[in-house]
Amino acid sequence: MKRRAILAFTLDHPGVLNKVSMLIRKKMYNVDTLTVCRSRIPGVSRMTITLQEDDQAKVLQIIKQLEKFTEVISVKELDTNHSYWREVAIVKLEVDAGHLDDFHGRYNFEVLEQKSEDMHIIQVAGSTRNIDAFLDEVGQEHVVEIARTGVTALEK
Amino acid sequence: MTGKKLLLKALKERGVKYLFGYIGGAIMPVFDEMEKLGSFKFIMSRHEQGAAFMSQGLSRASLSTADPQVGVCMSTSGPGAMNLVTGIADAHMDSIPVIAITGQVATGVIATDAFQESDVVGVMMPICKQTYMPLHADEIEKTIHEGFYVATTGRGGPVVIDVPKDVQNEQVSDSYTFDQATFRPHLPGYFYSPTPEREPVQRAIELINKSERPVMFCGHGVINSNAGELLRQFAEKVNIPVAFTLHGISAMPADHPLSLGMMGMHGTVEANRAIMDADLLISFGMRFDDRVTGKLNEYAQNADVIHVEIDPSEIDKNVRTSVAINADVYRTLHVLLGDPMVGYKPRRRWLQKIEGFRRVMEEDLKTEIETGVGDDNKLLMKSIIAQLSDLTKGRDLIVSDVGQHQMMAARFYNYQTTNSWYASGGAGTMGCSLPMAIGVKLARPDERVWSISGDGGFQMNAQELGTIMEHNIDVKIIILNNGYLGMVRQWQTFFFDGCYAGTPMRSPDFKFLAQAYGIPHRKVEKLQDIAPALQEAIDHPGAMVLEFICDPAEVILPMVPSGGGFEDMIVSHPRKHNDNLGQEGEAA
Ligand SMILES: Cc1ncc(C[n+]2csc(CCOP(=O)(O)OP(=O)(O)O)c2C)c(N)n1
Ligand SMILES: [Mg+2]
Repeated sequence: MKRRAILAFTLDHPGVLNKVSMLIRKKMYNVDTLTVCRSRIPGVSRMTITLQEDDQAKVLQIIKQLEKFTEVISVKELDTNHSYWREVAIVKLEVDAGHLDDFHGRYNFEVLEQKSEDMHIIQVAGSTRNIDAFLDEVGQEHVVEIARTGVTALEK
Repeated sequence: MTGKKLLLKALKERGVKYLFGYIGGAIMPVFDEMEKLGSFKFIMSRHEQGAAFMSQGLSRASLSTADPQVGVCMSTSGPGAMNLVTGIADAHMDSIPVIAITGQVATGVIATDAFQESDVVGVMMPICKQTYMPLHADEIEKTIHEGFYVATTGRGGPVVIDVPKDVQNEQVSDSYTFDQATFRPHLPGYFYSPTPEREPVQRAIELINKSERPVMFCGHGVINSNAGELLRQFAEKVNIPVAFTLHGISAMPADHPLSLGMMGMHGTVEANRAIMDADLLISFGMRFDDRVTGKLNEYAQNADVIHVEIDPSEIDKNVRTSVAINADVYRTLHVLLGDPMVGYKPRRRWLQKIEGFRRVMEEDLKTEIETGVGDDNKLLMKSIIAQLSDLTKGRDLIVSDVGQHQMMAARFYNYQTTNSWYASGGAGTMGCSLPMAIGVKLARPDERVWSISGDGGFQMNAQELGTIMEHNIDVKIIILNNGYLGMVRQWQTFFFDGCYAGTPMRSPDFKFLAQAYGIPHRKVEKLQDIAPALQEAIDHPGAMVLEFICDPAEVILPMVPSGGGFEDMIVSHPRKHNDNLGQEGEAA
């Protein structure tokens, strides 16, 4: 299944997130990720939703039906060729400092805190795949806890 | 000024004359104020669902008059608001502007499971066009005006305004001002584009001129934008036959030579066969729902589709369009009529072919209508409707319930005047007819209104006989009593080997029921008594219940099985034919 990112600008009102998520549920999708933040314009939020759908016509349907909500100002699909999709993960890792040194330069991460000799809290940013690769390389077995933001995206 | 006063002031400014509803704790302040003002006519329904359908009736029937009104219903919180749900969902499916005002528990106790608290906004959100909950008296006027604006513009729909009790009583702030004349709702995300763009119109005209076997579709949008007369002119100008969706019926005269009658599941052979063979579909204000198209991947395979529709999300939803015109139907027809490039074509072969389709069932239906009775000499619904049509010359207002009788009323009444047919289409809500007829009568007091129900649906809102009694509302009530939930029985006949599970029904003696409300009742069992009984109801000044004892075995044909294509259209009763009737149906 193809992963899609839908970008929506909405009024920053209570209930808008409810409406958007209800529509996606009604259309029987499972949201992969959903991020909401303020936009440049006061009172307007920016929502990035990712979900799986191969059929372009169906994605257009979601977009049109989202646009129908009075609180939704504009909606479009962002594809990976013409936009950046990024997320941030905060990871509690049980590894020696030396083990982490190998990854400097190759991954965009930062040690937020060293809690003990072999316990680090790090922050890593990048594409979903990039973060997945980082975790695989570090070794999933070293991950004690992880928080990921979900995707946010910006057109090139 | 208090919230409740401003609420009623805003309704008055929006031209509201009738308020339909039912009182309860959380809406008492508004009712109190309404009574003191004395400037609304309050119609108490006997169940909130009734109030929702009454307000629908008022909106639907008045839209084509010089005084279009938006129906307003009111209820208390919790159970009152929940009883509105079906009527609101129905209005949403059928794009009917309605305003529902529900009382809510006071802001201080919201979300504490207070007495009679329901999350009205949460429940209504997916089944209406917009919901509001004003939290201060200062927001009330703005909210009501915005609600009317949203309900009535673009594709119409219901708007729910949930007003906490303390907000109803609250005084506005000292600095409060509101000017209705200059008020513009701030809705940066709400667009609708009534004016058709040039480019798609030009491409549509090219397709129309090029086509050899075109069919025009008349949907609810034609009625809602009051474009019936323009559609007739356009059809005549280009000489293209017109098929109707359930809600497009009555937009132009049913017996117009270019009319193909209703399309879809219970549509006419001529409409459905013409669609199968068409090379172009020109659809005005409709949404290609599954009752209209049948199996999508077999639908109108060789046709280009021009889709004129005010709601952009309907375009390309079910059927791929060749040309999309996202605009108001009336304005689009106006442009098309004025364009010198749109030309007349004789289309002799196409129209001749269609004449052939007309003949497929013509004889059978004619014989059935003339015979007028089924096996046990019980009356046939189609015959009753045909006689009603003759007697009233097709000029009365028909408000139907949901079931076989609905399809009969859609098919066999010869609608002559625009916007004279009302029913629940998208939702198919049994019980809609009686309360909706009340709203229709209030909107069009000088016209005769018939409510037509089955024995099943009638009993779903029979309590509204009380409203009819109290306000002396002159609706002629027809119950087509076949002792069954007939439409479902028909499916059981066709797709469940005649296993009649949950469809036979014993009814009360409708005579006593009517009499309990002081309404005269006639029971008709013989063919020759149909016309006199109808005449008696016409002559009687006031409501009357006519109960016809109908043949439960009567079926409405043709029928395209649910999920089937038009190829699978059933044109004769399985008793007469041993066709393999194909797959099981889903629920009616
Ligand atoms: C509220 C509701 N419940 C159930 C149905 C399913 N349904 C559709 S038609 C029908 C039978 C209607 O029976 P009746 O009112 O007697 O009319 P008839 O078909 O016999 O003319 C039923 C049960 C429905 N449409 N609406
Ligand atoms: Mg019945």
